[in-house]
Amino acid sequence: MQAFEYANPASLQEALGQLGNKWGEADVLAGGTDQLSLMKEYLATPKRLVNIKNIKELGGIQNSKTGLRIGATVTLEELAENAEVRKAFPALAEAARGVSSPQIRNMGTVGGDLCQRPRCWYFRQGFGVLATKDGQALVPNGENRYHAILDNEGPAYFVSASSLGPALVALGAKVRLASASGHREVAAAKFFVKPANENAREIALLPNEILTEIIVPHEGTKNATYEVRQKEALDWPLATASVALKMKGSTVVSARIVLGHVAPTPWAATQADQALAGKAITAESAEEAAKAALADAKPLSQNGYKVQLARVAVKRALLEAVKA
Amino acid sequence: MIAGNRPSGYANVKIAGKKDGTITAWQSESWSTGGIGGGGSPPIPYVFDGIPNQRKNHTAVSTNCGGVRAWRAPNHQQACYLTDTAIEDLAAKLNLDPLVVFEKNLGLTPRADVYRAQLQKGAELIDWQKLWHPRGQSGPGSIKRGLGVAMSTWGGGGHNSQCRTNIHPDGTVEVELCTQDLGTGTRTIITMVAAETLGLPLGAVALKIGDSSLPPSGASGGSTTVGGVSSSSRKSAVNALAKLFDAVAPSLGTTPDQLAAVDGRVQVKNDPSKSLTWKAACQKLGVKGISEMGENNQRNPGGLNSSGVGGVQMADVSVDTETGIVKINKAVAVQDIGLVINPTTAESQIHGGCIMGICAALFEERVMDQQTGYMLNPDMEFNKLAGIGDIGEIIVHLDITPEHDKRGPVGLGEPAAIALITAIANATANAIGVRVPEIPLTPNRVLAALERRNA
Repeated sequence: MQAFEYANPASLQEALGQLGNKWGEADVLAGGTDQLSLMKEYLATPKRLVNIKNIKELGGIQNSKTGLRIGATVTLEELAENAEVRKAFPALAEAARGVSSPQIRNMGTVGGDLCQRPRCWYFRQGFGVLATKDGQALVPNGENRYHAILDNEGPAYFVSASSLGPALVALGAKVRLASASGHREVAAAKFFVKPANENAREIALLPNEILTEIIVPHEGTKNATYEVRQKEALDWPLATASVALKMKGSTVVSARIVLGHVAPTPWAATQADQALAGKAITAESAEEAAKAALADAKPLSQNGYKVQLARVAVKRALLEAVKA
Repeated sequence: MIAGNRPSGYANVKIAGKKDGTITAWQSESWSTGGIGGGGSPPIPYVFDGIPNQRKNHTAVSTNCGGVRAWRAPNHQQACYLTDTAIEDLAAKLNLDPLVVFEKNLGLTPRADVYRAQLQKGAELIDWQKLWHPRGQSGPGSIKRGLGVAMSTWGGGGHNSQCRTNIHPDGTVEVELCTQDLGTGTRTIITMVAAETLGLPLGAVALKIGDSSLPPSGASGGSTTVGGVSSSSRKSAVNALAKLFDAVAPSLGTTPDQLAAVDGRVQVKNDPSKSLTWKAACQKLGVKGISEMGENNQRNPGGLNSSGVGGVQMADVSVDTETGIVKINKAVAVQDIGLVINPTTAESQIHGGCIMGICAALFEERVMDQQTGYMLNPDMEFNKLAGIGDIGEIIVHLDITPEHDKRGPVGLGEPAAIALITAIANATANAIGVRVPEIPLTPNRVLAALERRNA
């Protein structure tokens, strides 16, 4: 690990003043479950590390008529156990519970889950976020069993690692970002971006910004998340689906289906949304929606099986959402 | 400790049998990669090495990777998988219960009676009669359940080992040898052997290991540690006690051969009223204590240990045929290890062997990138291991019989980690009705096998 300066600010304003304008100058430390791994592997070598765990205003979950505010440093365990979250947003609680190590749930934060770097093993071995060697992309001809099956024409092939991302996109959440010059709000769907070059990041956050909170609007949806994960213990999902359904009786008025771990960003399956409108959720309609969701999938050489797994995730998430 | 990468093992196997399940012939084209030095040759057909007609051809393939090393029963997991999956496939083809086929062919193994008893015990513990069904007949629904069995053998024995027992005039006792404890209970069993020999409680014996200035004892490898150290520590304790008896006998008015060390006292065998406490007995040594050696010679253990064990492991799995995910409901291990010195640590080591079997069957794989030569999963994130929620229920039965006791300790570390991989693979085939011809049984491979079945 490269030596770094450690800053321990007590207020958001103080923290923002300690950030840099370029990546590599200063990194934010919250739970540290990804940041410290990156630093140990020299994948992150910040000159300064800014600890935000002591900033009170970044914590806590508050409910209001318009929505639920979730502070960036709320741990995944707090989120999964929160009564309001479990009641109104089971899709989010289940996504948090899917982070399958109690240690990571207890240390890892909501903001960290959104800002973590890709788990692509080429990236983690030092070949960059686009996984190239001598200008050639390694993933298409390499070990791509865990890589993207959608939006995978390059230059990025990794899958977004965020567990909460698909649920937040499905729930229409907004992400609030702060910098020394003010605040801005980004739709969760726009927070995740496919990097176009090696210097770009996979999230909309800028180097001089801190993710402060998430707002999940109360839309009264029936929602659920289903993860296909091989192991019960610490493991990354192979495919996930989060669904949020606006219902009238047993009929779907509108649906938002978002896939995880299948594309460089949480993947909004709008074809499936349309396939469900006006229908009841049954095994058959769920199966149809699952097919529609993956209609555009173009698997790489080793990850064709993920198409089936993502279909199963969609189907099971839909059936879970309407379970009495 | 001598360990590293486990070599791969592949084969095309043809196995022939009669309608009643009697195996008549074996033919295999096998290959394996063991890194830069080429691969080890798995001993196939495994356990059933008496199959009358055999034709075998093995190719060792060199690759530009790190060399092959021992990996808890080297070559045995591969051999077990290649043999017992073929036997299970034969049974399925003949519409026979694989347990019947395994039992029918025990005459082809070196220890038919041991395996017969173990198969019966295992079947009882996993409820085979009630839960087994013909391959693929697992009923409706997407979750399919199945049972599988596999058998193992291992050499074991006792490696070269020297041990020193020191008895001090103040009554303290030290046992010293340069062995190691990998967490398997070596400390416990050495202390037990020395304490029992000296008639003392465990707490009265101070054990020193793990320092090369101590008397030499073999490295951990081959499941030969317990055989070696129990023999050397027994002999050195016996020798030290004889010296103590020499010093004590005159004061008890008898000869050394009439003395015994029992319950912290040294007493006359036929007259316990004539005795000294251990401490009082040691005071007779004057200022100079006793320091006596004992040695196990691997080639001539003198009946204190032996080699060759058998084991049977069974698995009960559930497979989600929509996702290809295999879950372990229950694993059963029945294991002969000769004389069991400490059942708790022995059972614990078998639990460990089963967990490693589950890891290898379902998760573990070294992923090498052909473009860069990098290992892509050199961490606990993608080099997957089972956690508590992944191992199901493990039932261990130590095969303890008077016959096994007489053989002395044999060795346990490796035999316990062989057969479960294959039992899980066989259980999966039984559940989903088709063989997944590789391990680990990843969702990718299970789904591909199901697709082939449905094609």
